[in-house]
Amino acid sequence: MPRLEPGTGKTKWYRSDGAVAVYSALISILIGMAVGAIIVIVVGLLKSNISPAGIWEGIRLVFLGVFSTGRSGSELSFGFNGVNLGNMLFRATPLIMTGLSVAVAFKTGLFNIGAAGQFLMGTMGTLSVGLWLGWAGVPTFVAWICAFLAGVILGGLWGAIPGLFKAFLNINEVITCIMTNWIAANLVTWWFDAHEIFKNSAEGGKVGYIIPLKNVGVVTPKMFMDVLFKGSQANGGFWIAVVIAIAMWIMMTKTTFGYELRACGANRHAAKYAGINDKKNIILSMAIAGCLAAAGASLYYLSGNTEFYWSTYQKLPAEGFNGIPVALLAANHPIGVIFSGIFMSMLNISGIQLKYLTAYNEYISDIIIAVIVYLSAFSMLFKTVLSKKIRKGTGGNVNAEPSPIEVKAAEEAETEKVKVPGDFEEEVTKDFKELLEETPDIVKTESEEGGQK
Amino acid sequence: MSEYVIEMNHIRKEFPGIVANDDITLQLKKGEIHALLGENGAGKSTLMSVLFGLYQPEAGEIRKDGQVVKIDNPNDATALGIGMVHQHFKLIDVFTVLDNIILGAETTGALGFLKKKEAREKVIALSEKYGLKVDVDAKVEDITVGMQQRVEILKMLYRDNDILIFDEPTAVLTPQEIDELMEIMRGFAKEGKSILFITHKLNEIMAVSDRVTVLRKGKYVGTVNTKDTNKQELSNMMVGRPVQLEIHKKPATPGETILKVEGLTVPSKIHKNNAVNNVSFEVHAGEILCIAGIDGNGQTELVYGLTGLEKASAGKITLLGQDISNASIRKRALAGMSHIPEDRHKHGLVLSYTLEQNMVLQKYKEPRFQNHGFIKFDEVRKYSEKLIKDFDVRSGQGPITVARSMSGGNQQKAIIARELDRDEPLLVAVQPTRGLDVGAIEHIHAQIVNERDQGHGVLLVSLELEEVMGLSDRILVIYEGEIVGEVDPKKTTPEELGLYMSGAKRQENIGKEVE
Repeated sequence: MPRLEPGTGKTKWYRSDGAVAVYSALISILIGMAVGAIIVIVVGLLKSNISPAGIWEGIRLVFLGVFSTGRSGSELSFGFNGVNLGNMLFRATPLIMTGLSVAVAFKTGLFNIGAAGQFLMGTMGTLSVGLWLGWAGVPTFVAWICAFLAGVILGGLWGAIPGLFKAFLNINEVITCIMTNWIAANLVTWWFDAHEIFKNSAEGGKVGYIIPLKNVGVVTPKMFMDVLFKGSQANGGFWIAVVIAIAMWIMMTKTTFGYELRACGANRHAAKYAGINDKKNIILSMAIAGCLAAAGASLYYLSGNTEFYWSTYQKLPAEGFNGIPVALLAANHPIGVIFSGIFMSMLNISGIQLKYLTAYNEYISDIIIAVIVYLSAFSMLFKTVLSKKIRKGTGGNVNAEPSPIEVKAAEEAETEKVKVPGDFEEEVTKDFKELLEETPDIVKTESEEGGQK
Repeated sequence: MSEYVIEMNHIRKEFPGIVANDDITLQLKKGEIHALLGENGAGKSTLMSVLFGLYQPEAGEIRKDGQVVKIDNPNDATALGIGMVHQHFKLIDVFTVLDNIILGAETTGALGFLKKKEAREKVIALSEKYGLKVDVDAKVEDITVGMQQRVEILKMLYRDNDILIFDEPTAVLTPQEIDELMEIMRGFAKEGKSILFITHKLNEIMAVSDRVTVLRKGKYVGTVNTKDTNKQELSNMMVGRPVQLEIHKKPATPGETILKVEGLTVPSKIHKNNAVNNVSFEVHAGEILCIAGIDGNGQTELVYGLTGLEKASAGKITLLGQDISNASIRKRALAGMSHIPEDRHKHGLVLSYTLEQNMVLQKYKEPRFQNHGFIKFDEVRKYSEKLIKDFDVRSGQGPITVARSMSGGNQQKAIIARELDRDEPLLVAVQPTRGLDVGAIEHIHAQIVNERDQGHGVLLVSLELEEVMGLSDRILVIYEGEIVGEVDPKKTTPEELGLYMSGAKRQENIGKEVE
């Protein structure tokens, strides 16, 4: 908890841990964008149909695609583009939710790689219940709530399965998550395959899609999004995602429940020792993660402008896995997830702009996302280096004269470091140790302390 | 030829903001056992890391046989014949003992295939020569801590090192293993190997070393011949003030029964037999009852069964008249039990939490610290500040210090503060002073005696014979999961205790049924 004691440790806000986390995320993003620009240049030079001017256009679109307003004459024009910005927020909604799902699980020491399956279960629940109630003539407001809750509950139950395996049989949640992902994919395909009524055969030429919820009028209200971003797909789902993110942040940091969850995640044994029911909390964490991912699906399909291709047994939804980079980039901070989710979807929009306005295809943006994902794993490293720099720069902002206690503490801290000659290697090793601490169960849980592994 | 095999002259090593070693000189003679004494954080480990090439000093020189040498990394150190047994062993759990020993110094044939047979013979020869019993084919994860340490020692011998550094080697050993280690070290010295022995245990220094160098807070205090000094003088040098080595306490005045354990049986996780077998005893108000025994004889499981960390398969536990045999951990705690756990990193603390968050580890649900599920941060802060002050827990940033960054002694103090402040009628303290230095031990012992004097019952589990003899009012000896003897510390001797602990002596009908 970065609450500073008055009188000591007068850390300025821009030197706080949180600020450093933001800097390191920004560094990842910048490097990712720079790599994207380089790829634009290289591709441009290799392809005969792209001129130097075209390369310049490509670079500008990579960075500012969301502000592109198309072409005026032969020149690209930039400015406020309500459609792009609105679509960005619309597409960010499911990413924020799956990002939250991964981040909350991370904070409790679990690696939820099952967001894709939970997302699918949410899709199934929301679509089925939404359509049923819509046909039954239930008031749309009630139908909306029921459809949303059906998705969330189904996703939560689905997420609880790996939690149960983890808690009672100590099976790593990564393995069960991967398995439940594919089980979900097949289950959802089977469900819609077996229920002809959901299939959209009314609209000609559409094969394999489920009837969209807007056909029965069960749609999320716009909540002024249509005013702000006229003509875009944006809707109130984004606000709902933001509210949920804030609620998650409050839950994790301000409540005894969050205290318990994080204690279980950080040290299951100590939590147990303290009388916290560790099994219950593991199951609950996964269930909450499942609820969040499924809520992303619900909001996505309740938006009124999406359709679900039901034969999904060979393919998992990308939103599920993109939740991982969204969470990583936000350093698993629920509020940060809102921004990293928006950023990811911004890249997506840039990619579409590239495709429509230039000779490039949209996959450039996928490469940028991939680079950022890769670098977000390094953001811990940036964080370590940055906080060191900042500490050095201020010349010890805590006390001018080191007391013996500090000597002790510092020496302890030093011996904790893995002693490898060479600064860089030392950083890296320590960095990975910290990463492991963030996600303890992937590799190792305890006994790292004071340990020179 | 110089008189000294290794000289470290005027070594200075700084870390950002602090000087860990300030002008330290250490001279090691050939064939001597040289102890390096200091409290936690005095700079012992840093100095040894400099010698082993893990850190580069800012100033000072290292000489080997009179020649200045530069040690840039552990490989240089190995080439100079310097070997080190680290406090936390550096072994690969899933490798066999043999594989661990040869790792990094493998002999291979022409095609790069390992020549394990030769290595094996060499290891077996070494282990026989020095009496280092190991099972070369066992996996490290399956062998005892004592044997793991012997593997580490064999690693040094396998590399033909003749300057051996032991970093707190006895912290993890049982009294018997410590004696064996001392014997082994004496054997090495006789062979002409030179030993640097890092410790803060005075008994061991007096028993085994030839000379002692004392460090305090990163500074050199002095070097003395062991035979010219005594424990009191050494501890004063180490702490910088006169230290109370004896535990002073009034005679116990046992009151009513607080804890009654009848026929407690806890299954073992390692073998088929019960780790704790049909154990019965009582703890009374105002007494310190000690469970003594060699490590691994069921103490850990006994405490787990008692506190609920593990399920007992049989037996009845009554705390203040309330049957808690099947109660949850929290219910047991609320019924009147506080618990200083054996492993402060595993159970005692959430290391990534701040000190204040750790201080309320059991209490966060009390109305005092929460309102409808929302934590009252101000109350938590106030409470932890009080504990920090009352129990003199020292840390860099007070309540917001991350527990991981605190020194071991202060981590332990934090746990003790938290548990004692709960003011429960029963205190279960498991190795409360393990790995701590003299000053901290003195403090913690006083706290435990104070707890007793307030009329609380204390169940102490300790492996340190000295602590057992000095602190307890009544001793139960546990051997292979059974209570084999009850003795009065005022009337018994360490030798007699040792006989019980090793299973050589046994009282009938003890600990089976309490009449």
